[in-house]
Amino acid sequence: MKIDQPILLNVESAPGSATVMASGRQRFKETGLLGVLLALGFLLTIFGGSLEERNRDTGSTNTVNKFLRADNLGNLAKDTSFFAIMAVGATGVIITGGIDLSVGSMYCLAAVCGAMFLNYFGPQGPGAGASPFWVVPGAIAICLGTGTLCGLLNGLGVVGLRVHPFVITLGTMAIYRGVAFVMTKAQAFTSFPEQFTDGLIRHQINWQGASLYPVPLAIMIGVTVLAGWYFKHAVTGRHIFAVGGNEQASLFSGLPVNRVKLKVYAFSGCTAGIAAMIMLGYYGSASSDAGKGYELDVIAAAVVGGASLTGGRGTALGALLGALTIQMINNGIVILNIDQNYSQIIIGAVIVLAVLLDRINGTLRDKRLARAARSARETQQELAS
Amino acid sequence: MALQDVSFDVMPGVCHALMGENGAGKSTLGKILAGIHRPDEGRFEIDGVVQYFRSPLEAQRAGVGIVHQELSFCPNLSVAENICLSHLPNRAGRMDWHRLHRKAQACLDEIGAECDVREELGRLSAGQTQLVQIAATLATGARIFVMDEPTSSLSAAESQRLEGLIGQLRRRGVTILYVSHRMDEIFRFCDTVTVMRDSQHVATMPRAETNESELVRLMIGRAWQKLFPEHVERAPGPERLRVEELSSPGKFRNVSFSLCSGEVMGIAGLVGSGRSEIAMGIFGLDSSMTGRVFVEGQGVSVRSPREAMAFGIGFVTEDRKRQGLVLGMECGENMTLASLDRLNWNGIIRRADERNLVTSFFEKLQVKAASAHVPAQTLSGGNQQKLVLAKWLARECRVLILDEPTRGVDVGAKAEIHRLIDELAAAGLAILMISSELPEVLNLSTRLMVMRNGRVAGMLDRAEATQERVMQLMAGRDTQENLRPH
Repeated sequence: MKIDQPILLNVESAPGSATVMASGRQRFKETGLLGVLLALGFLLTIFGGSLEERNRDTGSTNTVNKFLRADNLGNLAKDTSFFAIMAVGATGVIITGGIDLSVGSMYCLAAVCGAMFLNYFGPQGPGAGASPFWVVPGAIAICLGTGTLCGLLNGLGVVGLRVHPFVITLGTMAIYRGVAFVMTKAQAFTSFPEQFTDGLIRHQINWQGASLYPVPLAIMIGVTVLAGWYFKHAVTGRHIFAVGGNEQASLFSGLPVNRVKLKVYAFSGCTAGIAAMIMLGYYGSASSDAGKGYELDVIAAAVVGGASLTGGRGTALGALLGALTIQMINNGIVILNIDQNYSQIIIGAVIVLAVLLDRINGTLRDKRLARAARSARETQQELAS
Repeated sequence: MALQDVSFDVMPGVCHALMGENGAGKSTLGKILAGIHRPDEGRFEIDGVVQYFRSPLEAQRAGVGIVHQELSFCPNLSVAENICLSHLPNRAGRMDWHRLHRKAQACLDEIGAECDVREELGRLSAGQTQLVQIAATLATGARIFVMDEPTSSLSAAESQRLEGLIGQLRRRGVTILYVSHRMDEIFRFCDTVTVMRDSQHVATMPRAETNESELVRLMIGRAWQKLFPEHVERAPGPERLRVEELSSPGKFRNVSFSLCSGEVMGIAGLVGSGRSEIAMGIFGLDSSMTGRVFVEGQGVSVRSPREAMAFGIGFVTEDRKRQGLVLGMECGENMTLASLDRLNWNGIIRRADERNLVTSFFEKLQVKAASAHVPAQTLSGGNQQKLVLAKWLARECRVLILDEPTRGVDVGAKAEIHRLIDELAAAGLAILMISSELPEVLNLSTRLMVMRNGRVAGMLDRAEATQERVMQLMAGRDTQENLRPH
């Protein structure tokens, strides 16, 4: 594929200036967070102590590390997956300079809609015995569709009404949960087709005597990788960063600013739907209380992962690592037998600390870049003189 | 580290110019004096007393004040509140509005500024805001004024007024540190000049002992190069853009002109005469505009920048930091921002093509950056402007609107941009160029439109466009015949 070369300028591709592109590419952005995670894991392994575990097959007991054992790590991955998936969606919104407070409610509404559907076709429902070949995809479509639709409505509010996203999503946060409440009449829905729960989301594998559930983990990794790739390589991804970096300049450069915003809010809703789907399959029930307060955990994960609330910055992998950090601390509090009541204090402090560290890292990077720019100018001047 | 070993002395009551290209460190020096930045090393003395400021408030107490475009006060508060912001008159915490307004009025009267002290500051023009700033600085008892590019967004009349005010301040014994790169101003009212280059002190001398070309040589560190390319007469090509009776309430009325391939039509006029507004209108950013726009002879309706771009119109805006660039994004990404649809392969960016495009424009426009991956904000003003130009050239537009293409650009880059504009016109682009710098408009335009109060005050050919004539038309000291719309 050939780009139309500007006819007005005799531009030739200049192989000599390839160095212009080669040097100075920004380093892997999540190095700091990965370091924190490794340190955290190391500390928990050392100070978490060990416990006696019975091997189911042989009946013998052996000593295992409290943190570094398959059961615990699998659990940690499952707990992380909900938040990480939604945090990836929230990161998209945050990169455009917006905010989505309704993720918890969208998650709840999607879960409730899916739960009612699954319950209808469940073993005790009127539609029992329906073929799983369309019940399972139907449930997935309902969860994802409900989430996406809610997100789209958020986006329409932000774009069409020109009201700050904080206000719009604050409103829809209450509205969506209210809808879920009215729909369920405050009762919980259970009894889902086995093909959706144990057969799909709760699919279990046994490894070294521990039961692991790899599906939530796989979905989390899939969503993160896809979103990360999309942010980086897709045209819309570039648009997202441009709109968040400078909305006016984006408009003046002819970017479809409103469409970009619609897309990120819809995506945020979609990730809430995916998380709801996993939750339904894993726990096998849902009520209108699901996901209460999740919005703040999700935003916290995105922010710890390096997303800037002023827009223009953030990564999908960062969101995953941010969610993992928070869950690891939660996990650590249990392992270290710290009083549960302290967990909020510790997590709150960690959020602030992580953002602070990220800023210091950013300042150092800016200094390095400024130095590089200056030396480039000097070389140019030397060449000129 | 934006400064290295800068030392000089300034006498009281003197207007001392601080010159240098963009990024030479002159603003940083001003900000250190005003306590906004802190120096790593070194000291300065005021009346023989060594000072070290840790905050603007400490500088204020020592009698140093700064007048700076970007440091204006709170636009949501009234003029009076802004003037007295650091010590609002109150009785036991309760605002004393009467005393506040009297005090503010007194400050404004002192410098002869006329504006309502109850007005919200955000509603004032750039010039008025600056006067308020000066009044406020004076009210703090400042004896040393740092003025950082004070005229960069003022109209000619406002600049002249500022000049008078500077004279007035000096007679009171106020020392002025005047940061600028406008030669004419420095030769008009500065006594001594310090030249800086690459964060370093180059020379300090009395103005009388130097001349323009020496200053330029010191500033850019090499011999003066020609600021404007030689004008070559060219026959205009086919018509690219024609507008008829464009009007927008409160902005401009009955503007008609046509623009051909190969032409550079300059638009001169005071700030607020409707120059930029016309550009915005043509680019689809004014929904209340009426009139007809023809692109290549076809009547079109342009309702958004996207549509304007579809018709081959590009727009280099006046304010590159707010409207031109996404400062936090990489230089290369900024360059391709307007042409992503051409690099689009099923929604994916064609990386290799993007790289080629960026590399070729880096080369062609000689952008000085550590690499194409550094954020645009790390570049100097001139190089940032080149990025904006490249953004539109990469789109291969046929009509290019330039609004203040060399504002805040250093001398070296200015000459390069001028040469580029000329080359682009020669290559067949139709260029509409708005500029406050008369020499720029006069030297580069093949035709000139002068605006006054939202109307076309006159349409001049290159041959008839002289500085005096354009000034006359701009300011309105002219006979009625030129008022008829063309």
